[in-house]
Amino acid sequence: MRPDCLRVPLVIRGQVVDDYARSFPTARAGDHFCTADVAAHVARLPITAPAMLDLASLRFCDVLDYLDFLSRCLVPATNLHVQRAFELSRRSSMLSDAMLREMYERIPTLFRRESVMHRASTLLGLEYLDDWLELPAHSDARTRARVRAFGARTLHIVAGNAPVIGPVTVLHNAITRGDAIIKSPWNDPLSTAAVALTMIDMARDHPLTRHVSVAYWKGGDSKVEHALYDPRHIEKIVAWGGLSGIRHVIQSLPPGVDLIALDPKQGMAVLDGDALARCESSGLRELARRLALDIGLLNQEACFSTRLVYLVGRCRPTDFDLACRLGELAFEELQALPESLSNPHPAFDPELKAELDALRMVDLGYRVFGGSANEGSIVVSPNGNPVDFAHRLAGRVANIVPVASVEQALAAVGSWTQTVSVYPDAFRDELRDRLACQGAQRIVPLGAAMMDPEIVTPQDGMELLRRMCRWVVDESPTATALSVRADGLASRNNVSSLQQAPAS
Amino acid sequence: MTDLDHTVSWNPARFAESCYDEARGLSAGQLRDMQLHWIRRRFSEMRPHLQVLERLAGERGVDTIECLENVVPLLFPHTVFKSYPLGWIEQSRFDLLTRWLAGFSLLDLSGVDSSGLDSIDGWIERLDERTELRVIHTFGTTGKLSFIPRTREEWRVGGLLVARCIRDWHGRGSCPDLLTARLPIVCPSYRFGAGAIQRGVASAVEAYAGGNANTLFLYPETRFSADIASLAGRLRAAELRGDSGEIVLTPYLKGRREEFARLERDRVPDLSRFFAETVRRYSGQNLYLLGVWPVLYDWACAGLNAGLRSLFGPHTVLHTGGGTKGRELPEGWRERIYEFLGVERHHEFYAMSELIAGSPRCTLGNYHLPPVTVPFLLHPKTGDLLPAHDRLRGRFAAFDLLASHSWGGVVSGDEVTLGGWDRPCTCGRGGLYVEPDIRRYAVTEGGSDKISCARANDVYRSAIEVFTEAEKASA
Repeated sequence: MRPDCLRVPLVIRGQVVDDYARSFPTARAGDHFCTADVAAHVARLPITAPAMLDLASLRFCDVLDYLDFLSRCLVPATNLHVQRAFELSRRSSMLSDAMLREMYERIPTLFRRESVMHRASTLLGLEYLDDWLELPAHSDARTRARVRAFGARTLHIVAGNAPVIGPVTVLHNAITRGDAIIKSPWNDPLSTAAVALTMIDMARDHPLTRHVSVAYWKGGDSKVEHALYDPRHIEKIVAWGGLSGIRHVIQSLPPGVDLIALDPKQGMAVLDGDALARCESSGLRELARRLALDIGLLNQEACFSTRLVYLVGRCRPTDFDLACRLGELAFEELQALPESLSNPHPAFDPELKAELDALRMVDLGYRVFGGSANEGSIVVSPNGNPVDFAHRLAGRVANIVPVASVEQALAAVGSWTQTVSVYPDAFRDELRDRLACQGAQRIVPLGAAMMDPEIVTPQDGMELLRRMCRWVVDESPTATALSVRADGLASRNNVSSLQQAPAS
Repeated sequence: MTDLDHTVSWNPARFAESCYDEARGLSAGQLRDMQLHWIRRRFSEMRPHLQVLERLAGERGVDTIECLENVVPLLFPHTVFKSYPLGWIEQSRFDLLTRWLAGFSLLDLSGVDSSGLDSIDGWIERLDERTELRVIHTFGTTGKLSFIPRTREEWRVGGLLVARCIRDWHGRGSCPDLLTARLPIVCPSYRFGAGAIQRGVASAVEAYAGGNANTLFLYPETRFSADIASLAGRLRAAELRGDSGEIVLTPYLKGRREEFARLERDRVPDLSRFFAETVRRYSGQNLYLLGVWPVLYDWACAGLNAGLRSLFGPHTVLHTGGGTKGRELPEGWRERIYEFLGVERHHEFYAMSELIAGSPRCTLGNYHLPPVTVPFLLHPKTGDLLPAHDRLRGRFAAFDLLASHSWGGVVSGDEVTLGGWDRPCTCGRGGLYVEPDIRRYAVTEGGSDKISCARANDVYRSAIEVFTEAEKASA
């Protein structure tokens, strides 16, 4: 192991594996972290089905107690594991220290009793967790059915753009009472392990501790993945992230394993140009500030972050000058955001920078505000089309596209569109169903693209917690129903024997 | 001769006409003065006429060039050559594309009628017919095509330089003079097209081989199509607009679809036939052989297994490069190719579409920059000039003194290590050189295993898939 290496422990079901044989570079040049050669331990990662029984006998109130206690242990000021994870995040993340600190401070609140209760009841339904819940049946039904949500043996391949994704995975696994093998992301290798290590310190032998494993291996490592991708070992894979990663999972997926794909997403904004044109200049600045928040929060690293901004001229011709005024103000507001919310990107894409430079040099009608270094930029298109490098928009760079009809904005919405910010509210009401049918998954007012941590909602158009469960049905036909059914089957057999009779 | 005499008399165009290593007799100071002199001259001549340069100089506030460092703000980002909107190609607005291109060249393109064209190939051919321009397009693997203005004269000079370099690189007259030896050209690729290789090949056919009769190509009649190369970039743009499934193949592309699919399908047998014909026609003769390593390696293995070795004449010129295209070749692969062909060495250059002269590789693997290419090594993030010291790594940029009608300064997408400032290459040659470890920034950025739920750099399908689907649909 290199002496300067940060250690990323392999955690297998309540035990820390003392192996740091592999070294991987972090996002910062010249920096490394060390972790186990997971292939050498992969046989210990999965469990067999009977080993899930301890979880099924756990009551939800036990889960709440456990998580509430964990929340108190996860406070960064007093937790060495979390402090180390923060240190490594600083070396890997595209977010500022202030933003990271804010996120790490928020992690414990996720595990608090009232927060967990709210999440589980809203997104899953508490009534399915502890008991077999009888389903409504019509009055003359002779069979009663009950259903209960069971946890699944699940491999989680989590994203690393924000250090809360791994901890939330641990939380979801506890609520659903599943068995989680969590593959930490390269760009955030320690935050999930920090939670698992805290669980070990807190209650090493508790079933919730013993059903979490956390490992880092390089995505696509066939020695590890072939061993895990097996319906005897796992029932589900929750895969976040890049298209190439998801494509790789799909290619290696055997029948019998359920893939829950959280594909990469993006946000956009649709603004009514007429409403903007009616704004006083102070009103326009306020809207620009809200737009700057949607673009700039978390340095545009999030799935909700706005990249394309459609300015729809509905009753009047497309107004390029208005788009430029908005662009100029939004750029100013982007620069004015406090460092705890947004800051110049630490690894601004040099290819994007070159694209912006080139656009400024040729006279094709584009207006480029900012973009001279890594401070971010707003580009206004002259022609109703996004810039050709729209796929590279990142690092607080957005493109305002004035269009003549709302259809042009709607055409840009698809399964990749998570969040659409709309202004004004009346326009949002008008567009909501159309956006939803087009593929959008979340519709918010301008300035509200970032999710409010106070509320929990379905994610990316799906009910993730419910999909993480196995919905097992217990049916109870009445005695009459059973005999009727037997008679029915018997008479059907008689019919078929009668039909065969003439031949004999 | 005084330094001043050197500076004034040493004309970049003369470099191509003389012995390749003549300019290497200049001291570092003389070379710098000469380079500065010519860049300043180009700047004052071109700025009033090149709109793009004028805007850049205005924005960066550069009016005079006092030293080479002053050139850095005036280097074009490589993206400028693809700064046209892709919509123009989809809508066949080649008139606008011509006007855009004219912003980069001193040539007057106002008389070019680009109407009635329905393809990039057609547009490039029209420019070939009506002007001195011989545009190069790139391959668009990561986005859209770049178009770089070159003139017929620049291609002639480029061809001359390659010939001089091959003749003199390992000692004056150590290899055949391609300009007089009339070696047959053998090339397992396309004869026609406007990619840098096809353009180079076209000038070689004229200047080295003396015409098509003295050549053998894998595809002697077929054009490497810019339209097919641009399809990937267009798909990406269409997808972002939301009409991903609806990529419309232009009539021109539809017309070429079957031909393209057939070439792809028959590539392996075509290649075998091509090599068999090469052996039949040229066995024992000296050749000028162009090709990439993996193709040559497969051929060599098949040949050696069949008992063939030292197949061609001892003065055969092997001109290759481009790495192993991601393939892991077993140890000793290069020697096997030499053994099979019967050559003792190969010629390889570090080249890019934006620069006329390539940098020849020495036996140690370093690429030596010719005096007409003025290198700059830039900080990968800030774009600032890095100090003139050996072993520093950064973004490669250069000013091409041979570019006579367009601005020669460009920042590449390559990450390189530059040497020769403090200590010359141990091969004995003076001057600056690029070390062998050259990488594209677009590939190295982003790390190896980064997962994010935010969607940016992905594209769902490749051009090849779309073509295949279209073919299935029409079958």
